[in-house]
Parts: sequence; structure tokens; C-alpha cells
Amino acid sequence: MPRAETVIDTDIHTMAIPERVAAYLPEPWKRRYLGGNRGPGVLGYWNPGGVLRADAVTDAGVQIAARPETLARDYFDVTGIAYGVLNPEGVIHIGVSPELDYSAALLSAINDHFIHDWLPVDPRFRMSIGVAPNDPVAAAKEIRRVGRTPGVVQVLMGSGAREAYGHRMFHPIYEAAQEVGLPVGIHPGNEGVGITGPTGAAGYATNYFEWHSGLVTSYITHLISLINEGVFVKYPELRVVLIEGGVSWLPALMWRMDKNWKALRMTVPWLTEPPSATIQRHIRLTTQPIEEPENPQHLRQILEMFDYGSMLMFSSDYPHWDGDTPDFAARFIPREQRANVLSETARRLYRLPAPVAEAVG
Amino acid sequence: MTVTASAERHFTCREADIPEEGRIVDVRGMSVGLFRVGERIVAVLNICPHELAPVCLGQRRGTTLPSAPGEFRWGREGEILACPWHQWEFDLLTGVSLTDPKVRVRTFPVEVENGDVYIRLRRA
Repeated sequence: MPRAETVIDTDIHTMAIPERVAAYLPEPWKRRYLGGNRGPGVLGYWNPGGVLRADAVTDAGVQIAARPETLARDYFDVTGIAYGVLNPEGVIHIGVSPELDYSAALLSAINDHFIHDWLPVDPRFRMSIGVAPNDPVAAAKEIRRVGRTPGVVQVLMGSGAREAYGHRMFHPIYEAAQEVGLPVGIHPGNEGVGITGPTGAAGYATNYFEWHSGLVTSYITHLISLINEGVFVKYPELRVVLIEGGVSWLPALMWRMDKNWKALRMTVPWLTEPPSATIQRHIRLTTQPIEEPENPQHLRQILEMFDYGSMLMFSSDYPHWDGDTPDFAARFIPREQRANVLSETARRLYRLPAPVAEAVG
Repeated sequence: MTVTASAERHFTCREADIPEEGRIVDVRGMSVGLFRVGERIVAVLNICPHELAPVCLGQRRGTTLPSAPGEFRWGREGEILACPWHQWEFDLLTGVSLTDPKVRVRTFPVEVENGDVYIRLRRA
């Protein structure tokens, strides 16, 4: 389907093919994985519709995002996506397993599976590699092992975490990411899973609505921490992508941090510019789930409060239940920055060439 | 700071009466802080540009100099005035805020003659 605007989708969820993952997994983990014990489960909050869209299946009833061929045909072709970043399901959950050796081995196998079995299938595919942040040395090793592979564009970690991501224990991850030239993406959904602890700073959510609404608090915590600990002073080339973490809270947090920096700069002397300036240079955000105020103008006003044209990137979250289509998200974006949000900021960040889909149009 | 010939000169106190921690004097109804910074005497209007707090009642100290993450380098001892309310830091030698060069406390030219300390106020 030809589109007026090029669209790069920065958050697409794909399901690993278990028998192919097993092919890259050494023993004893292979027999464990094939035996059905695949790592930490979710807390079991009930989403009555399920997390996956009921219509994201082929006529044969197979998940479209479970095979590279159907994803290319039934999502990329149909929606007119020029490039898409595949964020494999489950890697953020495995990443917070207490079993560090198993999680490292399984994440490597999943990374290999997507590198070898998915990327070659379609030139529009790009992917994130999963790492286990609680073993930063192993995570850095994995980043150096596969981070320079063509088609790998990002390091992925869950927003559910033991410590806020600015903590110096995580710095080996950022050092490696900067070294191989990859941004680090943070994605929600593992809050409360594995050894992340409570789902929010003030304890456990009691249902899916509370859990899902509160995911933004992880992002606020991580962003404050990343700035506070001087991660972007230490790693000036590093970019961090806040995927699916909401948008509208950002300007208010920037103001709050700037205000506190004016008061408490003495305690963070490595911060030589207002936090908002660092945030605008180093942080990228994805659109979905875009906030939907009754008056869309209100969201546009919030966007104008930060440099959204160079920070915000379209994402669908396909095939999850709370996804946004490009057309829906675009109507909230002022026309003068729409191309940047729908494609160009992502193209620059992920170093993508001119789209191939347009030539076919 | 350029002092115009028309600026009025006002007696504040004897130099010997400015203690190490500084003092606050009244000059034509204005509260002014006098501080010793090295060999100099600095006069600061006792109003913070932020929320009009009595800035001269704040901590007079050094500060942490720009450094690598996780490192602390102390310096500029005695040259920094921190507002008692929101702790905005001002460079006593220039009056300028350490976080925003557009923001400053008002400072006055100081003259010492025969042990008497004068400040000059600009005419309106």
C-alpha cells in the first residue's frame, strides 16, 4: 500500500521460534528450554483481551509476528513500513532472571536466532539484541559479540529493574554500547518479573490496569538516574531510547530536574549543563501508547515544550493490544515535524538508508 | 563593574567591623551584605533574584568544581554565596549564578578609605 509518508516503526514484537532458539542453545540449557522451563514468568495480571491483538493472525490462525515471512507480508507490506525494529518477545523478562548463566545463554541464543533466521528474510528488518542488565559484564560481552552485526541497531533492556539504570554497576553496558555504536533501548513489561522487586516504587500493583498505568514511573526513575549519575558525561556518544514509556510526563520532569539542579548542583558537579539540555541531546522516545487527551491540542502543546522533532519516534507496538497505527499517531503530531517523528529521527538514530519500500510504491 | 561619576558614595561601616563571616548593613533602607573575599570586600544586595530571599543570610562557602562523574573537587573556598532558601549559588566576585549566566545578585562597587568602607549606588 503506497503511503504519503515514510514510516519507520521503532517497536515491533516478534516471537522467537522455540526449536530454532534451541538450535543455538548449548547444554544443559537446551534440554531445560525444550523441556518447557523457559525462565521467569510474569506476575499473571489479567488483561481480559490478552496482550496480543486477536486479529494479528494469518488466515490459518498463526501469529503473524511469529514468523519472519508472515511479518513481512502481513504487517510490513500491509502497513507500508519502510523499516522496523524487531524487539523479540520475552527477552526483557529473561533479562531479569535470577539465574544469570541461564539468562545469558538464552539471550545469546535468541539473539543468534533473530540474526540468522529473521534478519536475512527481509531487508526492512532491523533488530534489538537482548541483554541481562543484572550481569553487566556478561551483557557487555554479548554487546561486543553481536553488536556490530549488520541489522542489529539497539541493545534492549526491560524498564523493570533491580536498580535505576544510572547506577554505576550498569556502566559496563553503556561503555560497550557506545563502543559498538548502538543506542540502549528500555522497554516496559517486566515490572515485577524475576528479581525486579515490586512493580512500582510504592509496592505492588493489584491488577493489570494499575500495573500498566504505572509503568511510566519506571521511566521517570531511570531517566533521573541516568542524568544524575553522569552516564552521558562518561559516555558522550551514548543514546538511550525510552520505548513505550509515555511522552507527556517528559517536559514536567525536565523542569523539575532543572529546578533541582539549580539548587543542588554542588552535589552533582559533573553536571555542567541543565539536565534538560542533556536529555534533549541523549534521550529518544517512542510514541506508543500516545496519550489521548480529549482536546488533541493539549498534547500538541506538550510536544512543543521539548525538542520533540529530534527526540520522538513513531512506534506501533505491533501486535500488542495497546498499539497505535501510523495514521492514528500522526494526527497528534504537528505537520511540520511529522516526517521527523514518523521516520527521520529513527533513520538518523539507527543509521538507516533511504527506504526501499518507496521505490516499490 | 563600571562606576559612573554620578554614582553616590555611601558609608557602611568601619572595615575592622566586618567579621570573617561578613555582616549585613543598612544603606538608605537597603539591606546589603559585606563579605571579605581574599583581600577584597564585596557588597551584595540582600535580595535573591529568584524569590527575593535574604540571600546574604545563606551559606558562604566554597563549592564543588566541575569534575568527572563520581569525583568531587572542592575549591573556591569563601567565594560562593548560597541562598538560604533554594541554595542557588552565586559567585561573590561577579554576582553571577553558577548555573545560569543570565542570573545574578546585585553587587556594588566598594571603596575603602582610611578604614571606612563605602559603597556606590547607581542613580536611577
